[in-house]
Parts: sequence; C-alpha cells; structure tokens
Amino acid sequence: TVTEQSTSIPLPGVNVIIKGTSTGTATDFDGNYQINVKNGDVLVFSYVGYKSTEITYTGQLTLDVALEENAAQLNEVVIIGYGSTTKKDATGSVESITEKDFTKGNIVTPENLLSGRIAGVSITTSGAPGSGSQIKIRGGSSINASNDPLIIIDGLPIDNNGVSGSRGVLASINPNDIDSFSVLKDASATAIYGSRASNGVIIIVTKKGKSTFSATYDAQFSFGELTDRIDVFSASEFRQLVNSQPINGTTMNTSLLGAASTDWQNEIFRNTFSNQHNVSLQGALFKALPARFSFGVTNQQGALLTSKFERRNLSLALNPTFFDNHLKVNLNANLSYEDNRFGDSGQIGAAIHYDPTQPIYDPASPFGGYYQHRNGNILLLGTTNPVASLLQTNNTGDSNRTYGNLNFDYKFHFLPELRAVLNLGYDETEAKTINYTSTLVPTNDPVKGNSSRGFQTRTNKLLDGYLTYNKEFNKVRTELTAGYSYQQFTNSGSNTGNMRDPGSFPSTFADPNVVLIGFFGRANLTFLDKYLLTLTYRRDGTSRFSKDNQWGDFPAAAVAWNISDEDFLKDSKVISNLKLRAGYGITGQQAVNEKDIFLNRYRGGDANSQYQFNNQVINSLIASEINPNLKWEETATIEFGIDYGLFNERLSGSLNFFQKNSTDLLFTASVADGTNFSNSIIQNIGELQIQGIEYSLNADVVKQDDFNVNFNFNATFLDRKIKKLALGQDVRTGGIAGGTGNNIQLLREGEAPNSFSVFKQLYDVSGNPIEGAYVDLNGDNIINDDDRYLKESPGANVILGFQANIDYKNFDLAFNLRANLGNYVYNNVNSSNAQYERIQDNAVLANLPKSVLNTNFQRTSDVIISDIYLEDASFLKMDNITLGYTFNNITKDLKSIRLWAGVQNVFTITNYSGLDPEVFDGIDNLIYPRSRNVLVGANFKF
Amino acid sequence: CTNDLNITPKDDQTVLSEDLFKDETAYKQVLAGIYANLALTGTDGAGSSNLKNIDAGTSQFGRVLLYVQTLSADQMIWSYENDPGTREIQRNIWTAQNPLLLGMFSRAHLSIALANNFLRETTDAKLDERNVSASVRSDMPAYRAESRLMRAMAYYYMMDIFGKANFVTEDDPLNSQPPVYGRAELFSFIESELKDIDTDLVDARQNEYGRADKAVAYMILAKIYLNAQVYIGEDHYSDCITYCNKIIGSGYTLASNYLYNFMADNNTNDAKNEIIFPIISDGLTTQNYGPTTVMINGSVGSIEQNGTEVGVSQGGWGGALRVRKQFANLWGAAFANDDRNTIISDGRSIDITDISDKDSGYIVQKYSNATSTGGFGVDQTFVDTDFPLFRLADVYLMYAEAFLRGGGGDQATAVGYINALRTRAHNPNTITSSDLTLDFILDERARELYWEAHRRQDLIRFGKFTGGNYNWAWKGNGSNGISLPSYFNLYPIPTASMAANPNLTQNPGY
Repeated sequence: TVTEQSTSIPLPGVNVIIKGTSTGTATDFDGNYQINVKNGDVLVFSYVGYKSTEITYTGQLTLDVALEENAAQLNEVVIIGYGSTTKKDATGSVESITEKDFTKGNIVTPENLLSGRIAGVSITTSGAPGSGSQIKIRGGSSINASNDPLIIIDGLPIDNNGVSGSRGVLASINPNDIDSFSVLKDASATAIYGSRASNGVIIIVTKKGKSTFSATYDAQFSFGELTDRIDVFSASEFRQLVNSQPINGTTMNTSLLGAASTDWQNEIFRNTFSNQHNVSLQGALFKALPARFSFGVTNQQGALLTSKFERRNLSLALNPTFFDNHLKVNLNANLSYEDNRFGDSGQIGAAIHYDPTQPIYDPASPFGGYYQHRNGNILLLGTTNPVASLLQTNNTGDSNRTYGNLNFDYKFHFLPELRAVLNLGYDETEAKTINYTSTLVPTNDPVKGNSSRGFQTRTNKLLDGYLTYNKEFNKVRTELTAGYSYQQFTNSGSNTGNMRDPGSFPSTFADPNVVLIGFFGRANLTFLDKYLLTLTYRRDGTSRFSKDNQWGDFPAAAVAWNISDEDFLKDSKVISNLKLRAGYGITGQQAVNEKDIFLNRYRGGDANSQYQFNNQVINSLIASEINPNLKWEETATIEFGIDYGLFNERLSGSLNFFQKNSTDLLFTASVADGTNFSNSIIQNIGELQIQGIEYSLNADVVKQDDFNVNFNFNATFLDRKIKKLALGQDVRTGGIAGGTGNNIQLLREGEAPNSFSVFKQLYDVSGNPIEGAYVDLNGDNIINDDDRYLKESPGANVILGFQANIDYKNFDLAFNLRANLGNYVYNNVNSSNAQYERIQDNAVLANLPKSVLNTNFQRTSDVIISDIYLEDASFLKMDNITLGYTFNNITKDLKSIRLWAGVQNVFTITNYSGLDPEVFDGIDNLIYPRSRNVLVGANFKF
Repeated sequence: CTNDLNITPKDDQTVLSEDLFKDETAYKQVLAGIYANLALTGTDGAGSSNLKNIDAGTSQFGRVLLYVQTLSADQMIWSYENDPGTREIQRNIWTAQNPLLLGMFSRAHLSIALANNFLRETTDAKLDERNVSASVRSDMPAYRAESRLMRAMAYYYMMDIFGKANFVTEDDPLNSQPPVYGRAELFSFIESELKDIDTDLVDARQNEYGRADKAVAYMILAKIYLNAQVYIGEDHYSDCITYCNKIIGSGYTLASNYLYNFMADNNTNDAKNEIIFPIISDGLTTQNYGPTTVMINGSVGSIEQNGTEVGVSQGGWGGALRVRKQFANLWGAAFANDDRNTIISDGRSIDITDISDKDSGYIVQKYSNATSTGGFGVDQTFVDTDFPLFRLADVYLMYAEAFLRGGGGDQATAVGYINALRTRAHNPNTITSSDLTLDFILDERARELYWEAHRRQDLIRFGKFTGGNYNWAWKGNGSNGISLPSYFNLYPIPTASMAANPNLTQNPGY
C-alpha cells in the first residue's frame, strides 16, 4: 500500500515503475498495487507533489511505502478563479493556505483560520461571540464603496451583506469543513472576477468526499476571562470625589450617594465557557460514491452577560465520477442553524457610568426588583442600571442558512483536452429576530417594554458555465478558458414594530434585485516551461447602473519568468527557485448601497412620516435622489513580484511591490443645492492611490525525522493616499460619541483616508493640558473649526505576522504573533467621558474614567476634539499558542488521538491607554472586549 | 438573460415616476411632499434624512430656522454645546463649516428642487399626455401656485439668512451648476412670483389646513417689504402696510388664549383662526425632531422636572433650553400676569455664566404638548404641536412698525393692534400712542413672538444684531456680550454647498 506520510491516508494513482524500464503500474483507489518484479529491481514511486521514492526489491511479499510531500511544493495545486494552477505556473499574486497551515486556537468563524498568515491580509474581529470580522486585503481599494474582498465558497461568490439575526456572513460557516483558502491579491489574479475584484478575492474550498473510509471527532473546550477593565473610580474613591465639593463649579447633591459598593463592569462581564464538537465521516457510499458528511456544534458564551452564539452545521459532499472519470460531479450541501442572543454592548458604557455607590438590587423597586434611580415610582433622568438592562432584555436572532453548489466537470470523450464546467450555486438565509424587553423595564412612558419581531430573507443564485481547453503544442503549453456567469441577489423582510405600542406600526422592506452578469476568458501560455503569459478579460454587467453604463470591461495581463529553470541556475545549490512576475490589470467596483439610484423614483413616507392636509393624513411622496450617470469605479493595479526558494526550498517566500490606482471612485459627494433631491449623492468622483510592499518568508529551520521547526513571517507596508476628491472639497467622516453628529475624521486630497481632524492641545509650563485651549493655527485670534489640523490616520503603515510550528517526536507546538505599527486610535471612551461634568448625569450621579485625573478636564464639549485623545495604537499581539501530543496507532480502528491545550489572546504589548488597541476604523468607542481563553481539545482519527 | 440587469424597485414605499402618475391622486401626494419637506427630514422615521453629511435633526427646516434666527440672538440658550454647530451659533462664532447652516441651506434648496419637480410634472403637455381628468386639472392651477409659493418662501429665507441662493427653476436640468442670485435679484424674483400667483392661490383661510393660501404670499411680501432696507436698501414700508391690511382684512382673528397657539391642538382650537401658516407635527403620523418637539422637550427644567405638565416625559431633555438674561429682563412688574410671560425663575439665577450648568438661567414654558381641553398629545417625545411659522399677531406688530417707519397707515389702528395683543394676554397695561416707539416695538415683538424664529431678522432691521450698541449674554462669545463685526448680518455659505457650485462665492468677511 502506498500512503501519504503525514496522514497515513492511502494515495491513489501513484506511479510505480521499475527503474530503467517502462514496466510499471499505478495504485488503485485504496493505494494498493501489484507488480511483477525480481530481486534487485529498483521500484520508483512517484506522484505529483510528493518526493519520488526508490526502494530495492529484496523478496518482500508486500512493500508498503509512505510518500513524503515534496518540500519544494512548487507543484502544489493553487485554486484560482474558474480553475487551478500550480505554484510554479502562477503568474499573479496568489497565496494558498491549506488545513495544515491554518491558525490554531478558538476558531469559531472561518476567516480567523487566516489571521496573521498572509502578507497584505488583515482581519479584525470583535470579542462578541461568533462575531464577524473586517477583512481587508491590501487596505481595500475604495473610500465610500465596499472594501470587503470577494469571498467565494466552492465557486459561489457570497453576499457580503448579512442578515439581522446573524453575527456575520461567515458566522454560519463551520471552519472545520474548510479544506483550503486561496487569496488572490493582484489584478492579474483577480481580474477574472472583473467588477468585484478590486478588493482581492478569497476562495474557500470545502472538504470533499474520499473513497477510503476515515472519520474524525474533534472536541474543544474553552474558558474565557477578561483581563482588563476601563479604570473608573471605585465606590470609596467616588464618594470621596463627590464629597470634595464643588466640582465643575457646581455643588453636588451628596444625598444622591448610595451606601453600596458595586463594580458595575464586574457585574456585566462574566467568565465564559464555550465548546465545539465536530464529527466528520469520509468514505465511499455503496463502495462507489465518494462522500463526506460532517456535523458540527458550537456553543459560545459571550463575556457580556446574556450574550451567546450557538451554531449547528450539517454538511454533505458527494463527489462521484462517471464515464471513466470523464464526468466529475461535486455536490456540496450545507445547512446551518445559528441561534444568537445579543447582549446590548451599549451597556458597557452604562457600566462605566453607573454610580458605584448604588446596589444592583432593590427589593422595593417597582422595576423588577432592580435598583434604579427613582423617586417613588417615577424614574429619574439618568443612566439606567446596566445589569437590569441586560437581564430584562432578550433579543435573539435565529438565522437558518442553506447553501451549496452542484458542479459538473465534463472532459469531452472525443476531445479530452476540452472540459466543460457547469456550476450551480444557491445560498439562502432566513432570519428571525425577536426583540423583547420586560414590561418592568425602567421607563416613565405609558408604553412599557418592547415586543417586536423581524423577518428577513436573503437569496443568492448563481449559474456559471465555462469551457477549458488544455493542449501542449511543441514547446508551448496552452490553457484557454471562456465562460459566462449569472448571479442574482434578493433581500426582503418585515418587522412587526413594537406590538405593545399602539403608535408603532408593522413595516416591510424589499431591496431591488442585484443582478450581475459576466463573460470571461483567460489564456495561459507557457513557453519552454520557463516563460509564462496570462491574459484575462472579463465583461461585466450590473443592475446597479443605467442601461448606458451597466457594462464594464476588465482586462489584465501578467508575465512570469522562472529564472531558476534557466541553465545558469538550474544546478545552483543555493537557489532552488526564482521567479520574476509582473502584472497589470483593471478591476471594477460597483458594490455601493444604492441599487436603483439611476431610476426616477418617488418614496412615500412610512407610517410615522406622513403629512396632514385638513387634519387628514396624506401619504406625501418625495422625489428620491437620482444619478443616471453612475458608472463603474475602476482600479488599475501594477505589480512586480519575486518568488524565491533557497537551499532546496528550506527558505522560500515572495516579495511584491504594488501600486493600485482607483479612479472614478464611487463617492458620496455634494451636488449643487437645488439641483437634485438631496444635497449629496453617490457619484464617480475622486482618486485613491495605494502603494505597498509585501514580504513573506517560510523557513524550515530544523527539518529532521522527529524534529521540525517551521517559521512563517510576513510583512506588509502600506501607504494609502487620496489623490483627488469631488471638486477638491474635504469630507467629514468618523462620527463619535459625545453630542450628536460630531466627526473626528476627514477625507482630504493628498492625505491618508480618514485622517484625524483635531485641535492642537496647549499645555502649561509644567506640561499639564489647559482645558479648551488650542493653538490658533490660522492665527485669526479665533479658535474655531478652521483651526483643526490633520494628524495621522487609523491605518497601520506596517503589518507583521509571525507563525511558528515546532514538532518534536509526538509533540507539536504552535504560536503566532501579529503586530500593527503606525495605526492611531481616537480614544472616544475618554474624550466623551473623562471630564468632571460627567459626574452629574442629568438628575443623578455617574462614574467616569479615572484618566480624568491626568487632564483635570471639566467639560466634554470644550475638549472633545482635542488631539490629547489621539493615541498611537501600535501593538504586538500573541493571538494563539497551542501545545499538542499525538498518540498513534492506538487500536486497529483508532489511528490516532491528539490532545492539545492552548491559550488565545495571550498578550498585547502597546502604549495605547484604552482597553484594546485593535479597534474598527480608528475610533475606540468601547468595543466588545476580547476575552483571554484557555483551551483544551482532543482530536480522534479513525 | 442580460435583460435581468434592468431592474425596478420592489419596496412598496418606492414608486417609479412613470408608474406614479397613472393614479391621479399622486399629484396631491407629490404636492404634499413639498410641504412635508418643512416637517420631515426623510421618509423613514424622524431619524431618517434625505440630506447627507448632517444628522437628521440638524436639517429639519423649522428647527434650523429656529437656531439660525433665535438661538443666534438674545432669547435662547442650548445647554448641550457638544451638539455640533449649536455652540458656534449661540456664541456667534460660526464658520462656513457649521452643520446647522448646511442643514438650513440644503433643506431650503430641497424645497426649491421639489417645487421645480412638481412644476415639471404638471405642465399642460404632461397633463395632456397622461389624459388627466378634468377634476384634477381644475385643482392644478392652485397646486402649481402653491408649489411656486413654497419655492418663493425658500428663496425668501435664503435671501434673509445667506443673502444669496442657487437660482434653479423648473427649466434647469438636474445636477447642473446653476447661476447664483444675490439679494436684489432674489427680491425682485420673490416679489414678482408672489404677485403672479395671486389669482391662482386659494383665498385666505379657504384652503385646507396645512396648505398655503393667498395670505401666506401676502405675509412673505409684507416681510420682504418691511425688511427691504436691509435687503436692497429701499423703503417699502407702505407696501408692507398694504399687505398687512390685506391679511388682516381676510378675516383672521386672535386666538382666545395666547397659549392656544402653541398647544398640541393648535390645529383644531381657535388658534387656527390666528395661524396663517403652520408646519405640521403629529406624534403619530408626522414625527420629527422639529422646533416644537425640540422646544417642548428642551424647555423642561433640570430642577423643575415639569415635563408631564406639557405632555412629554417628566425630565424632558434634562434642561436643554433656557433663556438669556436680556430676554428675562423684558418681563417687568407690568407683565407679571401677562399670559405671554411663561418664565419660571424660582430657585434659578437670571445669569448664565456657565452654559453647561442647566440649573442656572430662567426657563420658559411657552410651547406645550398639552391640549386646550386638558388632554395631551399622543406621544411623549414627538409632539402634536404645529409650529406657527406665520400668525396674525406678527402682522399686527409689522403694521405698527411699518407705520412708525413712515409707511402710512393709522396710529390709532397701530395702537389698537398692540393693545389687542395685550388684552388677549390678559395684561391690563394697555399702551397709549405716546408709548408707540420703535424701541417699544422691538421689545414687544420679543414678548409676543419669542422662540418663533424671528429674532435675528428683527435685531438686524433695528441695527442691533451686530455692532456693539446692544450686547446680550454670550453675544460674540463673552458671557456679558461682545460687539460683532457687521459681516455677521449674513451667514457664511456652507463649504460643502459652495464646493458643489463654483458660481457660489463666500460672503465677505468669512
């Protein structure tokens, strides 16, 4: 039997040849082979992607061989758009991560398998259970339009918009079912996806059925604890503070102080327990139909009281072949049931604020027995008890998703060089949300509490068909692909409104369909196995633009030169691989919120937005904003890359230089007032430039039979700059808490997007900040908006990732490190809370961050725009460390057990003063905190 | 199947224009949309906005008008200064970046765009093409005149506040860069438009409540004539008298109780005989963060917690609104029992030295979500109270002022009008002709019309807004008031608006 060395899985189709002859055979489905040999014959076992092994026959009855994967891995198959290639033949910037490379740890959603692994890819996930992530490849290519990469699961591009009731578009997918990711970064790799390719593409391939039986069971348990809190005054400190009259020029009413001592953050956060179980079965059904079935259960508690995430996944893959392997059929069908309870993360802010001298419970309280600031039965104006708010609310979301695809891959009988592929995909999510709050919730309103239901359905249908022609002519290998793609998205739903409130009405909504149609083609030409050329073209249509603008053309070209195959390097002992790549391409973007802005529309008011004539309600109709000229945003990417391998691929990696220029940016910008039905509409105005360098290194530092050390390092340098904006005008963005509608960020020509726009704080001689005193930057003796200046931006200039895998005998140790440098964060927690006036919360007292002691600031409105709240949030994090031990060959059926333990969110090194330097879009407004988890797990293989 | 790319809206609130007018009732609904733009900021609830880059409340027509005309002057203080724009408006330190000014400029111009759209959709050619029935066609002259009136009103406010506007009519294409009209051009356009539509407008007090009639056009004419010195340097006081008389002659009467004008049922109680043009608000069907919602919730005292009296939550908005000292001082002993005196001063200092201290300064209780019959509005946040944009009392005061400024008319009539207001307010201290002076008029306007979005215009007309001859608390960012340069008589053109139309230039000084 011939098996795969690391997994002991039988390998079918391995060539077995007697050396020096043409006599040979191949292994069958189960890796078995038979051959007639005589003593002294040398058998050569060879298989693509594995090292050839030679064994001399010395009369054995059976000869079992375990083939080792080829270290070079240059023949490793890499999935690309509508096809595959090998690492060696790839002309674009494509990186592939397979199961063995996945980031290990408490991985609940698939994208975290990639965290920190690939140069140019950043993934930011909040601490909420099962929560979605912000994924950016090379910093995105847009400002206003989407910066999300296109995510494709088994050929089906998924909708980046989730449903309410779900945690995110990838939250319903079981990471355990994933076989590999391919990340397509440059235009030559992505252009085949045309209009949706500007932000990169992530292709997810799920696990397939196999013909030999195997089974696995994975169990994982994790215990989480928050390691940090916002530092606020304790009950005794708070008492002291309130008694140190006057504060902010006002004398506090000390009789408002309570007698208790409550740490509200401790009360709303909890230690968590989570577990995951996955069972998978692979084998041939009826001895002929390769199949895989998996079942997964994930239960995750959130650190915030009441929040939880539960998911059950069923997955079936059938992969039969017919007509002597001419027709391959792949069916993937998945069911996912996601049950969420959402804890209102707004209560984190309430916990920071709530008077620490008050108790949690109050038996006399008419509000469900919870303490509330009240006067008899009348609630006083101020923050409400956060524990009560969490426990008296039950907001749940159930999201049921059915997705999968049916793929036919037919190799023509009369012309085996030609294949026809048809891929049908379907993805439907039905979600139900129930928002419920107790009738005992603290309110003076006649309507007590809430009871409402929401329903939403999203569908996504795909039909792809393409032909691929593969032929070697003389010294030229050609691969030609041409096809058609149709995809349609729908979204609709309804909401009951608060059924306890007679003034609240049911409502429905339905988005216009989004339809995307594409025609695509690709030619791969390889000369002498050394010179590679790829040409790609896609013509895409979108329903988002008017008839005149709905089609766009997206071409790309790339060349590559395998220098190491040239005679002068062929025999080099040092350089085992060296490839130069260059590519150029244009990709498009149409993913804006507006789906029908090119049409002449009117919109009637909802039940609360009508007008009255003669005291009778009339459904007033208001013309909607219109832009019939909207068209594609285009990104031109130029890239130069070097792939290298040294010392027989002990060291390998690549270095890429790229520049992306996005033009006709889809951008919401002002129109002349009075000439449209809004003051600002989405238009094609503006240019953005992104330049970057990516470097990766994979090092097999130690490579021995029972001791292996592998390091993987990647670095990304990014520079994003706005080249042009609508009519050159600045655009305010980055809304912050503290007053309504304050903005802290600005888009300006020549600057990085979302740069912070702040006042320059003045300090006294002893270095203490002077409240409300700023540098009069324009020298007009007035401090107003004109004196704000731009300082730094939320984007990191440098992103580093490091992963180590160490195997010693049966032990395995893995950890990873991640660093962002040069990213700035505006600390909105401090800027809107750490001022003494905040101690008076309308009619009651409230706590505040102790950082107020550093500034001694009194008034929020005087200081909220100060650059004192802008901080360097560079960080180094260890996300995960795991240690495992594998017991092999335990019984005949139980092949192995791996026991492992690990820690997630091990440490963070940063100068940032807030809870966590890794926030979304550079504004720290109390993100859901990330727990430190201790994990144990077991993996059984049968 | 590339035809699938040609989609149509699926939401039941959205209609394509080619389908809309198949139903003839749509004409009136589209007309209602022009009016609704004064009350609603969007079609999907009070928090929605069809304008961008500004918070929904920050572009509600009546609210920004109140901020621009009243908060900027001597009658009102907003406690929450980190609400963007409010600090700069109330301390007179605004810039072209101010979001409230963007809200004012963009919202008024949206009225212009909606009116132009209505006029384009109702040309004879279009109506013929759609075979519109005779009954709807007979309504059309009034509908079209009303949309022109709403457009002229928007231009009137732009002329007053910014001194210029993008000049767009139904003949201009969408998304163009229109010419800009200054005060002189706007004045003559408004004047000729309002006179031109006179025959088509419904007679005063004969139209449906909520729709504009001839008297609204007269009111705007009276106002531009009264302020013509400011706008174009010409004396039109006699024209002002003429149009005041036309309004007064149309049968309006003062409400039996001053406060009825500001209550939840001011659309049905006898204030409807006094209100010439309301902006509708309804706690159920017309929810908005407009001037009445803001003033009723906002004027609930931080100490008094008097929200339930006025039909909102007990604490209201925690003492968001108070009055400045100079306004409080207008209510001497002679006004102790005047109905218009709604000042609450117990336990409060008259001075506001710290704007964020909501316990300092007096508060008022003028607007209310209670009804004249002892009931309350349907909602405790969104009030039922309509905003009285124009009302008869203002006309009386304009008459008296135009008389004093030499516009003709009759002294006894002028004195009679003032005393009618006082008598209605149950103030026994009526005036005599010797009391009737311009300074008196300015103060009496404050007492009668405070918090009704008139004050800045009045102070400018009296030469007291800028300069240093009248300094109120926090004028020019000094707690006791500092002189303002004269260019503050006009607001700056919002940066975003200016950037989108190169024909717009910044007002001098900014």
